[in-house]
Amino acid sequence: MRYTKTKRQNTKTYRLQSLAATEKLAEEIAGTLKGGEVIGLTGELGAGKTTFVQALARALNIKDLVKSPTFTILQVYSPERSKQPRLCHVDVYRLSNTEELAALGLYDYLSKPDTVTVIEWAEKIKKALPATTLWLTFSLFPKRTVQTKQQP
Amino acid sequence: MKKTATILSIETSCDETAVALVRGEKTTKGYNLIVEENLVHSQIPVHRKTGGVVPEVAAREHAVRLPHLLDQLSKRIPKQELRKRVDAVAVTAGPGLMTSLLVGVEVAKTIALAWEKPIIPVNHLEGHIYANLLQVNLQNQKSKVISQTTEGKTQMTRTSARGGSVFDEKTQNYFKFPLLVLIVSGGHTELVLMKRHLNYELLGSTRDDAAGEAFDKTAKLLGLPYPGGPVLSRLAMHGNPHAVLFPRPMLDHKDLAFSFSGLKTSVSRYLQLHKHINKADVAASIEEAIVATLVGKTLQAVRQRSPAGVIIAGGVSANRVLRTRLQTELRKTAPAVTFLKPELRYATDNAAMIGAAGVVRYLNNKTTSPISFVVNPHLPLR
Repeated sequence: MRYTKTKRQNTKTYRLQSLAATEKLAEEIAGTLKGGEVIGLTGELGAGKTTFVQALARALNIKDLVKSPTFTILQVYSPERSKQPRLCHVDVYRLSNTEELAALGLYDYLSKPDTVTVIEWAEKIKKALPATTLWLTFSLFPKRTVQTKQQP
Repeated sequence: MKKTATILSIETSCDETAVALVRGEKTTKGYNLIVEENLVHSQIPVHRKTGGVVPEVAAREHAVRLPHLLDQLSKRIPKQELRKRVDAVAVTAGPGLMTSLLVGVEVAKTIALAWEKPIIPVNHLEGHIYANLLQVNLQNQKSKVISQTTEGKTQMTRTSARGGSVFDEKTQNYFKFPLLVLIVSGGHTELVLMKRHLNYELLGSTRDDAAGEAFDKTAKLLGLPYPGGPVLSRLAMHGNPHAVLFPRPMLDHKDLAFSFSGLKTSVSRYLQLHKHINKADVAASIEEAIVATLVGKTLQAVRQRSPAGVIIAGGVSANRVLRTRLQTELRKTAPAVTFLKPELRYATDNAAMIGAAGVVRYLNNKTTSPISFVVNPHLPLR
């Protein structure tokens, strides 16, 4: 498995050459999650955002099959053991403004101590997210990579 | 035991507001159904601006349109007569967008309470399945656009059966059990086995994107306008489906799961690497990859479970290539299987299908009180 890291300020770039590399990154991030965190995913269609969430769910001990929530927009998954955080998977691909987030019930989950919230197309609702949000930017070209960024 | 039913039905789970009146009877062969009234108000033009359904906008539109549709219905059939004839109110209880579902459910509950009728919560996917029992009888049905706003923003269509229409066993479709169902829509891609009416066993579903979502998102990559799927299919008619070989994931696996997320990546890579493309060829090749996967998995399920009937259900069942390919392949490989597909008008979201499922539920004593049920945006089929 090839898995390379480059560090610059508070950003890190990872090469994602295989599903195993995505899984390793998901495990690494899952290890730091206690609940209450928000992860914002950005990147074009097909860049690997949902695939990452699926790997993250497995790393968080969630046995349910995580699917694309584009249609229902928000989906909550509970872990096998109750001590671990729930995963709230959101896809704001179809939203046009942050006012709609309340109607979706996002604030019932966002930053709650028992919930990790992961949001696809999060750049669309950047205003509504906490400053501590961990940002993951997925790219397909020229190489399949992901850049992580978080305020220190 | 009850043998006939007349059901008032409401559907507001996504971007169509719809009301229908469906009459049905139970015979030894199955269920005979007649759509007396079918009113659909499409929000597609409203959502074209944003490139997709915006939940808050959709719910507001439902709240504005639903009373208009009920008003239209009462112009055709006076309220007093409706109240006397209707046995129960059926409504989509999920899956769908929470705020949109609530509009239909609250209106349905209000009517049921005021008229002292039972209510029938219907799963949207069950509605799509029972749409296969609805016929379009050209002799006694007329469909027309009855209102269109000046900006052409919204459109309402009405279909109605002429008075005195009778059940016709010659044109009625019947389910043959065990029945294999391929559900394909913007939110779902599933293979389900029904051993009898209202009984569902999930055989397999998508691991990531739904087939309709794959159509819509690859259409977006190609720069096509909303709703991407149907636009892509129209473009595909002029293209070569074998121009580009996109992946057909999971076809070599024994299990009945689907996966469509890799298709987006593969289309995206193709577009990045090829600057001058024939859009029609790419569209046709995408459609081919999706249809080949859906048909391949369905045939695999037929081999594994030997059903007596196969049907397709959901918005993507309106896809021309899928409808004909599945029919031809089944005729070749499983000629004894009875294949049904919904009439195009009942393939996309409508309330007549909710009424059809409502009739079957009512005649099986599956009703509830208006006070005790709640909507569920993730309602499973059971």
